[in-house]
Amino acid sequence: MKTLFQFLTASILILSLSEVSGQQANPNNIASVKGSLKDTAHNYHVKSATVSIYRSDSTLLNYQLSNTYGEFNFRNLPKNSNFYIEVSHISYQVLRKSFTTLNNATPLDLKTLILLPKEVSLKEVAITLPPIQMNGDTLEFNAAAFKLDSNAVVEDLLRKIPNVTLWGDGQITVNGREVKSLLVNGKEFFGGDFKMALQNISKNALDKIQVYNQAKNESNPMDSSLTVNLKLKKSKGIGHFGKIGGGYGTTERFEADGNVNMYTPKLQLGIVAAGNNTNKIANSIRTLTANSTFKGTGISVDYQPDFRATGINRSNAAGATFSYNFIEKPTYENKKALTANYFVQNRNNDVVSSSQTATTVGSGNKVFDMTTSNNSSLSNNHNFDSRYEFSKMGKQLNISQNTSFNTGESFNNSFRSSENQQNELASTNNVIGRNNFTNRAFSLNADYRHNNYLSARKKLRAYNARYSLTLNDSENERTDLTEFISFVDASTNRNFNRRYNNEGSNINQKLFFELPSLKRVFFGNKRLADIDFGISNDFELGSSQSNNRISDFNNTTGTYDTNTYLSNNLRTNTFTETPSLSLLRGFHKRLSNRFNRSLNFSVSAKQQFDVQDNQSAKSFQNIRRSYSNFVPAASVSYYRYQYGEHSNNVSLNFNTLIRIPSVDQLAPLTDSTNVYRLIRGNINLREAKTRQVNLNFYHYDQRGKNTLNYNMTASVSFTDNAISDSIFIDQQNRRTVYLANVDGYRAAYVRGEVRKALKLKTSALQINLLGSANISKSPGYVNGVFAYSNNLNTTSDLTANYTYKGKLALEAKESYGYYRSRQDAFNTNYSGTNTTTTFSGSYNITKKFTLNSNISLNSNKPSGREAINYNIWNSSATYRFLKGDNVELKLTALDLLRQNNSIINSAGANSFTFATRNVLQQYFMTTFSYYPRKFGKTAAKK
Amino acid sequence: MFFSHCSSVLRHKPLFFSAFLINFALAALCQPAKIDSSNMLTLRLNLQDARGASVSQVFENVNFIPLETTKESLFGNISQLKTLKGHYIIFDYDTRAVLIFSSTGKFRAKIDGRMINEGDTEEKGKTQFYGFEIRPHQEDSIIAINSNKHLHCFNLDGKRVAKILSKDAYTRDMILPGSDAKVRPGYVRKLGNDSTHYEFAILTKTDTLPYFPFDIDRYKKDEFWDGAKFFSYGIPGEMFFVNLHGFNLYKVTPSKLSLAYRIILPASNTLPQDFNTNPIYVKKRGEFFRSNPNVFYRISFAYQIHNNLYMQMSCFASPSEVKKAIIYNLKTTEMTSLQDLQPDSLSHFLPVNDAGHYYDFVNRGFLLLKDDYLYTSYSSLAMFSFKEQLGDTQKTFSPLLDEYFKTQNRKSNPVIVQLKPKKN
Repeated sequence: MKTLFQFLTASILILSLSEVSGQQANPNNIASVKGSLKDTAHNYHVKSATVSIYRSDSTLLNYQLSNTYGEFNFRNLPKNSNFYIEVSHISYQVLRKSFTTLNNATPLDLKTLILLPKEVSLKEVAITLPPIQMNGDTLEFNAAAFKLDSNAVVEDLLRKIPNVTLWGDGQITVNGREVKSLLVNGKEFFGGDFKMALQNISKNALDKIQVYNQAKNESNPMDSSLTVNLKLKKSKGIGHFGKIGGGYGTTERFEADGNVNMYTPKLQLGIVAAGNNTNKIANSIRTLTANSTFKGTGISVDYQPDFRATGINRSNAAGATFSYNFIEKPTYENKKALTANYFVQNRNNDVVSSSQTATTVGSGNKVFDMTTSNNSSLSNNHNFDSRYEFSKMGKQLNISQNTSFNTGESFNNSFRSSENQQNELASTNNVIGRNNFTNRAFSLNADYRHNNYLSARKKLRAYNARYSLTLNDSENERTDLTEFISFVDASTNRNFNRRYNNEGSNINQKLFFELPSLKRVFFGNKRLADIDFGISNDFELGSSQSNNRISDFNNTTGTYDTNTYLSNNLRTNTFTETPSLSLLRGFHKRLSNRFNRSLNFSVSAKQQFDVQDNQSAKSFQNIRRSYSNFVPAASVSYYRYQYGEHSNNVSLNFNTLIRIPSVDQLAPLTDSTNVYRLIRGNINLREAKTRQVNLNFYHYDQRGKNTLNYNMTASVSFTDNAISDSIFIDQQNRRTVYLANVDGYRAAYVRGEVRKALKLKTSALQINLLGSANISKSPGYVNGVFAYSNNLNTTSDLTANYTYKGKLALEAKESYGYYRSRQDAFNTNYSGTNTTTTFSGSYNITKKFTLNSNISLNSNKPSGREAINYNIWNSSATYRFLKGDNVELKLTALDLLRQNNSIINSAGANSFTFATRNVLQQYFMTTFSYYPRKFGKTAAKK
Repeated sequence: MFFSHCSSVLRHKPLFFSAFLINFALAALCQPAKIDSSNMLTLRLNLQDARGASVSQVFENVNFIPLETTKESLFGNISQLKTLKGHYIIFDYDTRAVLIFSSTGKFRAKIDGRMINEGDTEEKGKTQFYGFEIRPHQEDSIIAINSNKHLHCFNLDGKRVAKILSKDAYTRDMILPGSDAKVRPGYVRKLGNDSTHYEFAILTKTDTLPYFPFDIDRYKKDEFWDGAKFFSYGIPGEMFFVNLHGFNLYKVTPSKLSLAYRIILPASNTLPQDFNTNPIYVKKRGEFFRSNPNVFYRISFAYQIHNNLYMQMSCFASPSEVKKAIIYNLKTTEMTSLQDLQPDSLSHFLPVNDAGHYYDFVNRGFLLLKDDYLYTSYSSLAMFSFKEQLGDTQKTFSPLLDEYFKTQNRKSNPVIVQLKPKKN
């Protein structure tokens, strides 16, 4: 770990220094050229014209905008070399000038270059476009000005643009600022996943890339987000793209997938199908389409499928996606769109696992459980979702629905044995189960926001309303065969053959209404110390019903007899009402051309009323409870924007959450087949109250080059009356769990991230450091002894990504995780570390032939045990055929070292588990893929 | 107004005929005064044809006056500028303060809301004010700030010298020097229970000449991106008037209003002819300007200096695409672009406004025309960026600028640019 950190730090330093020295002292790069631009017809210097410098072989070297004085100046050019510059401006004809740099450090002065006004008729015959230009407040990159391979996609173009960074996690930054939305012709493209547009759309279909700030709220220009719009050429407004592929490998591994997507100026439609037994599980249509993008000619570290997913999965999925924009050129304030997705999935999952758990039961006393289990499941899932979005000046309406239907069955068997402190067998328990299930769910959400800050005369300018409805319905038929054998007390032996027929349904409705700013309504323009106030009301009504018929096999009659204790009818009605009054005060300070600062406070007084009414066939479950709690909230936020330097955002939030106990916690029906965990409940349980404080901090660099950005999130929570376990463990290691309210639950979380990008002349380096820590102190009882369990989990990732000339991409990543669980009362301490070091590389041998390889070195070291080390090495070779690279042949070798392993160590409140599961192991696969692609009415140039 | 009056009369039928006669007389009385258009000049201006010129071709004198930056004097930008006894008095909207600087930019005093409230138990809370006036007071001139119900008078040291009830002293009337006439913006003529609102009236001892009646409810029914404006251009007793969304320059004199210049722009820059009357534009004016970014929707300043008309117009397109500020020579018909003046030694090779790069000139234009000098300003952020672009080519500046560049930075106070136009 330490070594890799040192290696990475050293590499970064060397690379940065070599770049600096390259700029300052490389004796071959000291020539420079300058000049100024003039419009002699109108007699002025031409400002903001694009001056691009090319080598004599037409490769673009650099570009800049002429300054206030119409001047340009390129430094660090090779001496005595041939170049030409091209000057372009919206109002002038393109000017081209060739020159040879001098053989000494004196700048070559091209003097005054005269630009000729562009005649309107000449516009169409303009030969060369500037790579970059400002069009009002929009920064535009002209695709045609960047010479790339004909098979390049948008992503390849973005990599060529200085100050644009594509991060390993798919994020894009322009001048250090994160791009929040990526549009194609002003519209979201196939669900908005950046990859869909960047890795599919041909660079040749693109007219220009536009970067601008989209204001969400005209009254607050700070509330804006950076948007990238890909403007397609006029003839490319219609097109289709997709992938059809299949592969077969050793150990009968196979995969096949196909998707076709088409778009018109208003309509987007996609159809997709996929099947495999290589653990590539796609749970939505979006994942499927994002996994089969074309990708262009550029190089990036190829992310392998999740080869370490547990179990063996076989899944078949198909679906369709549809979106229609009623407005061809939507804006944030004028939008009308309908989207719908249908997805069907058939999944077969087999997991074999074994685990060993050590549990502390008293001071220094431990019991041990060994479990092996097999679980296989088959399920069919259907999901249909749709969404309608409408927005018009100050009004926004979103209506969405989701309907799902899922049926399936599962089989499981588990064999568990328990040992005492002396490693003597105390008990065993074997379970064989089968389960058939059917679930239906429907949800509807409607959200309306009215915000008209521009209408100065209206007293009530803003109100928000939300409504949601969820309906669930489930049927479940399960049979469990359980055999418990005690080696301590034979009288406790149990044998069950139990059948469960459970039916359940619930309906839940929520209505939220808010008037966020009321001062004007009641007090007009009175200042009232600039304190505004708002009210809101959250109302929730729920009803659930369950009808459970449980029966036990009668060995004498050979039939199932009703279990009158567990069979039950239960109806639970819930009602939650939370009115709230908020006071708001903002302090804003701006100094023109210097800074913008704002500090906002808000305090909310809320009272939450809960009523839970349970009506059951079991009289002890007829419980009606009502709760009333004061749940205050408060927040402070601070924003500072320093012109040309940076912006900082800090926010601190406080809120209160109430968790009311359910009937299963208050008065459960204890199912004795769960011999190792008998839940007893506690009728005296009260509601748990959590107070939470969150802190967020973001720093955005506003400088143009080599930006450094960082952010941090932290939260602390305190829970009173936390509903916690009080566990009694008997001599056979059986646990009887009572629930109790305990004070003193504490948790804290912190996460930080630092990003640095360096764009060098022929290469780019990105460094990303991510760290997080979770710490908690959970109170509970074990065999009547009160104990705190102190848990700590930390993770940190350092990633360095290096690309060279579009030919080579390397990534090194070090992940380090530490976990610890300590119970002072029992003097126990479980801890361990997980480290993974990954090296990945891609190399384009030719334009068509690419090699990928990655190796991860894993080390798993629980305290007091030997470290388990295993390495996974995957490699692939890809070759693309045809002029348009439409056919791909890929040979993949996974787990070349045959060491793949799935080890899951976890530390609980008073236990530590070491588990392994079955995973895919070494296989080789050959895959053929065909990428149908056409942009525009005629075939795209290939 | 006349029609609305008629409709209200029609609702009372029994009185209709007698009322008709009265109204006929009223309507005659409500008629605005006549506008003299006998000397009107039509100017067809295509601002995009404006040419550049070097600073010294246009101005005979250029001075940069950096305003001193101290903890107390730090402010945002200048939204109002006047001079008084060799001092610059500025109003900064960001800090809601009036600041007083000497002729060399040395900070002298500051007047903010706290000082207006000082020792005042009547006027609690934060004081609101949005500018200041220079007005005579006991044979002296003082800085007057109208806030709440009072007019607060301060001297150059920022000390309060008087506090007068606004209703007794404050007036928006503008005196036309050299005459007894004054101009009253928002003039209201009352006849019985009826009032007629006019954009303004020229009031003399003997006569009242109201111009441009309007419906006072127009702001409730519609949105406007302009207002009626007056521009004094240095000739005593004269000023320009421009009506909202209008492109006619009217000349106000003590005896009459005359249409001096009728400006016609190329079709691509012109508002539709029925823009002020067609109901399809009501409350959709902003939307129209946004979707037609090259259309000029107002004149933001207009001065006549000798034979030159200095003018700026507004549209949504950025100044890098569209020329908006010009000097039009009435004699030679030459048009010079104010945003493309080429810096030369007269301005130490520094731009004389920030147009095309920053927004002070685009947003506010010239701040003042007084004693043959035009005034504008730009930020230190702009100044240091221009200086950086100059590189080593310009090493000598005025002593004030030398000191400024040595001791100040991009976060310092703005710099006043004082320009004396050539008399050509």
